[in-house]
Amino acid sequence: MLMTKMKAKEAIASVADGKVFIINCHGCKEIGFPEEEAKELQKEMAAEGKLIGCMTTDYICNTDNLNLRLRGHMAEIEEADTVLVFSCGVGVQTVADVLEDKKVCAACDTYELPGFQGVTPLEVDCGQCGECYLNMTGGICPITACSKSLVNGPCGGTKNGKCEVDPNMECGWERIYQRLKKLGRLDVLKCPTQIHNFATDDATKEWKETE
Amino acid sequence: MKVTELFQRGEFVVSAEVGPPKGINIDSMVEEAKEYLSGVHAINVTDNQSSVMRLGSLATCKVLKDAGLNPIFQLTCRDRNRIALQSDLLSAAMLGIDNVLALTGDHTKMGDHPQAKPVFDLDSVSLLHTMSLLEQGTDLGGNPLVGEAPKFAKGAVVSPCSDSVDAQLLKMERKVMAGAEYFQTQAVFEPEKFIEFMEKAKQFGKPVQLGIIIPKSVGMCRFMNANVAGVHVPEEMIEELKKDKEKTKAGITGIEIAARIIRECKPYCQGVHIMSLGWESKIPELLRQAEL
Amino acid sequence: MNYTKYEMKANDELEALLQDKDSLFVIACNKCFKEFEIMEEPEAEEFSRLAAAMGKTITGTAKIDFLCNKVQTARKLMDAIPEGTEHIAVISCGLGIQTVADIEELPVLAATNSLNYIGHHGMALTQKTCGACAQCYLNMTGGICPIVDCSKSLINGQCGGAKNGKCEIDPKKDCAWEKIYQRLEKQGRQADFSKQPVQIRDYSKVNVEVITAFVKEARAKRFEGFYGGVHPEENKEYSEHKALEKFPESDYVEIPMSMHIGAPAVPCVEVGEYVKLGQKIADAPSFVSAPIHASVSGTVTAVEVRHNPTKGEVLTVEIRSDKQNVLHESVQPAGDLDSLTPDEIIEIVKEKGITGMGGASFPTHVKLKPGKPIDAVLINGSECEPYLTADHRVLLEYPDDVIYGLRAIMKAVDAPKGVILIEDNKPDAIAVMEEKAAAFDNIEICAAKTQYPEGAEKMLIKRVLGRKVPSGKLPADVGAVVSNVSTAKAISDAIQKGMPLVERVVSVTGERIKNPANYIVKIGTNVEDIIAHCGGIEGEDYVVKLGGPMMGAAIKELHVPTIKGQNGIIAIDADHTQEEPCIKCGRCADVCPMELAPLNFAKYADEGNVQGLLDNSIMDCFECRCCEYICSSKIPLVSKIKKGKQAVRENK
Repeated sequence: MLMTKMKAKEAIASVADGKVFIINCHGCKEIGFPEEEAKELQKEMAAEGKLIGCMTTDYICNTDNLNLRLRGHMAEIEEADTVLVFSCGVGVQTVADVLEDKKVCAACDTYELPGFQGVTPLEVDCGQCGECYLNMTGGICPITACSKSLVNGPCGGTKNGKCEVDPNMECGWERIYQRLKKLGRLDVLKCPTQIHNFATDDATKEWKETE
Repeated sequence: MKVTELFQRGEFVVSAEVGPPKGINIDSMVEEAKEYLSGVHAINVTDNQSSVMRLGSLATCKVLKDAGLNPIFQLTCRDRNRIALQSDLLSAAMLGIDNVLALTGDHTKMGDHPQAKPVFDLDSVSLLHTMSLLEQGTDLGGNPLVGEAPKFAKGAVVSPCSDSVDAQLLKMERKVMAGAEYFQTQAVFEPEKFIEFMEKAKQFGKPVQLGIIIPKSVGMCRFMNANVAGVHVPEEMIEELKKDKEKTKAGITGIEIAARIIRECKPYCQGVHIMSLGWESKIPELLRQAEL
Repeated sequence: MNYTKYEMKANDELEALLQDKDSLFVIACNKCFKEFEIMEEPEAEEFSRLAAAMGKTITGTAKIDFLCNKVQTARKLMDAIPEGTEHIAVISCGLGIQTVADIEELPVLAATNSLNYIGHHGMALTQKTCGACAQCYLNMTGGICPIVDCSKSLINGQCGGAKNGKCEIDPKKDCAWEKIYQRLEKQGRQADFSKQPVQIRDYSKVNVEVITAFVKEARAKRFEGFYGGVHPEENKEYSEHKALEKFPESDYVEIPMSMHIGAPAVPCVEVGEYVKLGQKIADAPSFVSAPIHASVSGTVTAVEVRHNPTKGEVLTVEIRSDKQNVLHESVQPAGDLDSLTPDEIIEIVKEKGITGMGGASFPTHVKLKPGKPIDAVLINGSECEPYLTADHRVLLEYPDDVIYGLRAIMKAVDAPKGVILIEDNKPDAIAVMEEKAAAFDNIEICAAKTQYPEGAEKMLIKRVLGRKVPSGKLPADVGAVVSNVSTAKAISDAIQKGMPLVERVVSVTGERIKNPANYIVKIGTNVEDIIAHCGGIEGEDYVVKLGGPMMGAAIKELHVPTIKGQNGIIAIDADHTQEEPCIKCGRCADVCPMELAPLNFAKYADEGNVQGLLDNSIMDCFECRCCEYICSSKIPLVSKIKKGKQAVRENK
């Protein structure tokens, strides 16, 4: 799932030329959205007289509903020099597509969080590597639980069971080892050398092409 | 010798290109280079060209240099992250190889290891920028280099006959901004397009070497038209190759065509870069016909 | 479009995997982010067939919605896996497999590979994807993502690989930089791009430390108090600082006989009769019902069935007010709380017509006879509905009455403890109540994090007592009685003044109300008059709701009397959307405080599948509208759920 954080004020100011129309997308607010910061910044912009309109809505990534909701604001948008969107990258791209002739800018940066569905980020993550390694790791993903995404065992950077990249992060391979030991399945690690295939699946291209 | 110095001297700079072998025996390649390419100013050494794994570009450059030739180290961003790229740049400078051509590189999918992870940590523009930083004595991380800073002749490429030539020009501008000092182009078969391109590119004030491929056969031209980005061999040129099969096979027609293109474009550019694709032996004759 | 993130491993790989294994339990995720066309995904059967062909025993199969939802999955898997199972085979993306591996002790086998693709989709099945690079480049690329759309994720311009505007690695894929160039050219912004400094991506921005810390905090927050819930914009600022005012006397009141849950009250007055303020005008015909009293003094002008926009055809008593508020003789203080017996208190509550004032209007005296030991009385001061500020004002302006009412309930049900829960968006109310409660050892104030639907009985109990009310059970079954702030105040008035429930606090608010306010309104006062008194509604294209935006009922016709449970009148901006097919985004299941999967209700209600509705526990739904609020496809889930419940009732 995606989460957004606001760009630095200076970065936003540098792209928000002339009269600005703002679109806030609260669709993924439950996951993470800089609501208060955005409000504050927009207040400041309004005080400076830069704002000519504002729309707070949800799921602007849905083109049909975005179009319906934009209807009432088209006059303001026409007048605007910049449409500033507070949303994830998908939302900004959708708006940019709908308002093709307008300068559409992003006020936020987008981060990925573990979890595909729902609104609650997960403690486990899936790297979508296309060749699930969970059968040899006791159900702990080496792609995401190991900082180096190693698939043939731990590196030498483990210290007290922690990762060299972040001492607060448990070493993924230490966890895998302990889990396999508990399950009595350490022998699965005697499998042949694993080599990660980075070619993107053709299957995923299909949905890119179906539209 | 830095190719930039040649440009400064007003030379019409001629370069050729060799591809390291897929293996460790390099002797025949060096011999051929010595035999046919001693007349050119510099020789590009490709870096795992077309994403096909081969002997390393830097090592090959060193061997050519030791053989008395002037290599240009092609460096792509496909296989190395910013640490390896900078490290290889320092290695090159240490070995006295100061011509570097910065490329983004073909995608891994195009080559013989499609499963490989493409890196693209940097791209050609940011690689040029990084080279400029190294020249100023700091690395990309902002850390000072110890001792003398390296100095490169920073080359880059551009595709003048691309169907998205405006996007290419935009990129060219950014390469200049990042420190590119000269350009080599993708193979040109349409002089009028090249001339048109040069009209727009001259604003950047950087020397441009016309890219040349000697057309070997009709099949090769058809293949390039179908598969190689930014390359288009016009139909009348293909007809010309069709006319006398024996002449074409012997390379005579191809050299005639290539030489003609060079002659037509010469007033508009500052050099020529010949991608001989195995026909290194034809280069001396081509240069002769092109009056270089 | 189908964003399913996995596919089955190849048969030979599965065969090799199963070689030395037997007694398999198969768990399949019902998938997410795909059109919700079929209920039965085929992979579990395919896998079982393959295993059976190899002579393996399948000990059972479970198909689960949103397998990665650990809370719901753990509950569903409890006792599901039979003895003798040696391995669990999971058909899901890596998240589901790891979730099961985390929950279960048995070895877990992955029967699937996740699909390897670049970019993250949004909440609609579109082609747009985002690279989540944490350093959005869209501002320099005309809103086209160079990270996802360019095969090499180049950020400084086009490579030389584009041919006919297509990418070198896939002739079907548009060259992103070609698209970017064209977009910029169209907008005359090429110079903006060429002026950009050299772009170098900062991979440290997507940082494991930052993300893990965020996830940890987000999960702690989500599961604090109760499962699910949402955080709509509060919008309380319109009226939260408006002190309570008595609404001016109306010329008449219309009092419906069914304002509460249970049997309608039966009028005991006739047309032409003069009634006094507080005089009983209708009797409760049964235990689950409540009497009704005159909210003004005046003459009864009608006792007839009238149309009510939210309740349908309702027997209504109309009284022309003489605006004198002549008190009825029965309005007498009942004496000291200490001297009243529990039964006396319950009798007063019953006789004074007190019903729950938080919205549901359940007769309060029924709650006060739980027939079970009660550990705590909880007063709901959360007012978790956006916009509404009625309870907030009652807490600020009548804190002693609220505590008095709570003490009365505690005495009535013999509870050793009373807790008043107030959300942390009302710090002033928390401060006042903490000061007042300090005088009582057995009364606590619980300041809870703001989260809708905190005020729902079951959520309140979970938050305060950590107890879960089982499906089909009542608060009393877990030793709790829950009452609303305004109800507590009404009980106080009933005992201390002898005044029945004849008026209540109503917030009149919303961005479209000209002068928002909090009024003490006589029951039966017309909403139309109240809105007019507030300066009316500004502009066009608005929605009026009785109650809050979440659970309030939208009304088109404003001529409707104020009833006991009506805590607000709001006029807000209309939202224009259209219903789209469900894409199984899983949000409804994630926010449902009852841990249900509302997407199934919509599907089954449309199909008229009563068994499906029952299997998914539709009757546990209390229509808090969290699912509809979060729905990325704008499906009117609550109306579908209502339809489904109706079908279930008719089928009984």
